[in-house]
Amino acid sequence: MNLANTLDAYLVLAGALFCIGAFGFLARRNAISMLMSIELMLNAVNLSIVAFGAFIPGLRTTGSIIALMVIAVAAAEATVGLAIVVAIYRNRKTPLVDEYDAMRR
Amino acid sequence: MNAASLIPLIAALPIAGFLFTAVAGRRLGRRAWVVPVAVVAIAWAMAMVVVATALSGGFGESGAVVKLWEWIPAGAVRVEAAFFVDNLTASLLIVVTTVGLLVHVYSIGYMAHDEAGYWRFFAYLNLFMFSMLLLVLGDSWLTVFAAWELVGLSSYLLIGFWYRKNSAALASKKAFIVNRVGDVGFALGIMAIFVDTGTLNIRDSIGHLASGGVSLAPCAQGVVSCAASMPIPVWVIALLILAGAMGKSAQFPLHVWLPDAMEGPTPVSALIHAATMVNAGVYLVARANPIFASAPGAMVVVAGIGIFTAILAASIAMTQTDIKRVLAYSTLSQLGYMFAALGVGAWTAAIFHLMAQGFTKGLLFLASGSVIHAVHDGQDMRKMGGLAKKLPHTYRTMLIGSIGMAGIPPLAGFFSKDEILGETFKAGFIWVWAIGVLVAVMTAFYMFRLIGLTFWGESRVDEAVAPKVHESPAVMTVPLWLLAIPAMLLGLLLSWPGPPLGPLFGQKGTGLLASWLEPVYKDGLAILGRGEEAFALFGIDGVLILVSVAVAVIGMVAAWRLFGVEIGSLRRRGNHEQVRELTARVPFLYRASLNKWWFDEINHLLFIVIGGRVAAFAWWFDVNVVDGIVNGIGSVTRRSGSGLARVQTGRVQNYALGIAVGLIVMVGSYALLASR
Repeated sequence: MNLANTLDAYLVLAGALFCIGAFGFLARRNAISMLMSIELMLNAVNLSIVAFGAFIPGLRTTGSIIALMVIAVAAAEATVGLAIVVAIYRNRKTPLVDEYDAMRR
Repeated sequence: MNAASLIPLIAALPIAGFLFTAVAGRRLGRRAWVVPVAVVAIAWAMAMVVVATALSGGFGESGAVVKLWEWIPAGAVRVEAAFFVDNLTASLLIVVTTVGLLVHVYSIGYMAHDEAGYWRFFAYLNLFMFSMLLLVLGDSWLTVFAAWELVGLSSYLLIGFWYRKNSAALASKKAFIVNRVGDVGFALGIMAIFVDTGTLNIRDSIGHLASGGVSLAPCAQGVVSCAASMPIPVWVIALLILAGAMGKSAQFPLHVWLPDAMEGPTPVSALIHAATMVNAGVYLVARANPIFASAPGAMVVVAGIGIFTAILAASIAMTQTDIKRVLAYSTLSQLGYMFAALGVGAWTAAIFHLMAQGFTKGLLFLASGSVIHAVHDGQDMRKMGGLAKKLPHTYRTMLIGSIGMAGIPPLAGFFSKDEILGETFKAGFIWVWAIGVLVAVMTAFYMFRLIGLTFWGESRVDEAVAPKVHESPAVMTVPLWLLAIPAMLLGLLLSWPGPPLGPLFGQKGTGLLASWLEPVYKDGLAILGRGEEAFALFGIDGVLILVSVAVAVIGMVAAWRLFGVEIGSLRRRGNHEQVRELTARVPFLYRASLNKWWFDEINHLLFIVIGGRVAAFAWWFDVNVVDGIVNGIGSVTRRSGSGLARVQTGRVQNYALGIAVGLIVMVGSYALLASR
């Protein structure tokens, strides 16, 4: 089966990226790594949006606009996320999320 | 000044006296009696003006209504605070205010030893006077019910006046609770009246009920609804009202509270438990006479309960040794007579007996109080005897009362009792008459047993007390003489110029009381279809009179033979051997009478033992089943909560895993379902 330059190929790639990101988010204990995994998932979604935009004529402009929007939002999210992680790190002296259990106490 | 405008003041004065004494009485000390006695005296004078106006026809045949304000203006329910005086009310006002005033005066002396409670006693007495006056004056069922409860309250307060004494505290509770049983019936009766007639006004609703609901003045005027159908039958209403009357007037089986109520001070026994409050039930039934007349079955119940109470109480009175208890059972017995009269439709006779008894019994109780006072709070007749010489005034007045009670002409008690027996016979209730005659024998017997044991024969007073026995002060003996006058003459006065003595002197017409009360009973008598019967002194009526005099004499002589007599040249010593022999011959009857037919024991078994078991089961059910369900819901919630709390780990990644799994499950199941 020839996958070269088809929508399916892009979607498979985006799915693979998303799964890697999700696995990383669930499995890594380090907050920085988890943020990076989130970025991976966001980019996977972005990739699929751009792919839809490119292959489906009716979505050409809309897809691009949404992709740009997601990039902007992802940047803002990364900033806020990093700021929170740094703040918690200063407080708890550890980057490991399973130590962040103050809410449970 | 218009006499009707005095009516609200009659009720207002005692309540003002109560409030004043309740607030300031403690500081007045020994002078606390001044205001309460004064207000009752003024109320008495006003009441006499009102009574004279009413009985001379000044208020017209339908009586005077004084509307104060609209008490409850709630849509269809409109209750006015109003007073109503007709001839029946006036007749009761005479008894209530006169006996009330004399008891107040008497109490000044009787309660003098009670330093701490002096003001409290007079405050309560005034509260009672207000309640009782409100009861007879009230124009709506609701007012009467409120007053009904108020007299119950003041009775409770006064029975338990010496509340440190355990028996008094228990007796007051007993009186209160037994009365509540009857009051539930009365309350239901009032509700039933409202359902049927749409009004709580006594006169409107009675007229409405008696006529079957239509073609009535109040209906035509739009005061009450003209609906012809009444959802609740009249006989139910009659029986419910009767239940209330039975509680207050201590009729079987609600009679148990009255003898115990003698734990209160003697003036209280005289005023509340002999002369006024216990007559409230008689008043109520007489007032509702058209309702009872429309329910012949209920009338028979009234007569049956009345005459049964009469003979039951008389049988108990014959063996009691406590002077006040003898009088208490005698009160019960006479109230039974009144109910029997009400039941056979002899309403005039019932009210006649009520008035005669009000004075006679008030006198007897006050005199017994004077005896108790003299022997230093002893009530046991076995420790009295020979008091006639030491207490001349008490002895003479009490003898007058006893002769009246026994039914010897021409004292008041004779006329009223004879009228009840005569009317009963002529109304065709021969069985009621026969029992009534038997009760008359017993009445004469126990009254002279009381006199014999207390005043005649040798003194059995304790050695320590005997030298100190003395006649009561004038403040106590004067009320006795003032009560002895109506106890002697009232019967003659109220029956003149009618039967039984009028015809003998060539007079014609009905007796004074009968002509006063004629408008009140007009409707009831019309429903019963009983017209005026010619009085035949030398016929059936004469025979009936002879019978009732004869039985009174039989009872009296029997008591003389057994317990002695010392009137003038009639002298005889009591024969205690014979008494013992006679009681040994009927051991069961003797023990039954001595133990009051075990009613307290029966009630104990029914309500304390069996009722207690039921209550214990209900408690068990409540604790285990009702509370079990409620607590079960709580504990299930708590346990499942603490179980589920373990899911809350606080770790972000666990939650994220949950989200991821949930998402996969949702998407996966959607995909599966969509691909079908």
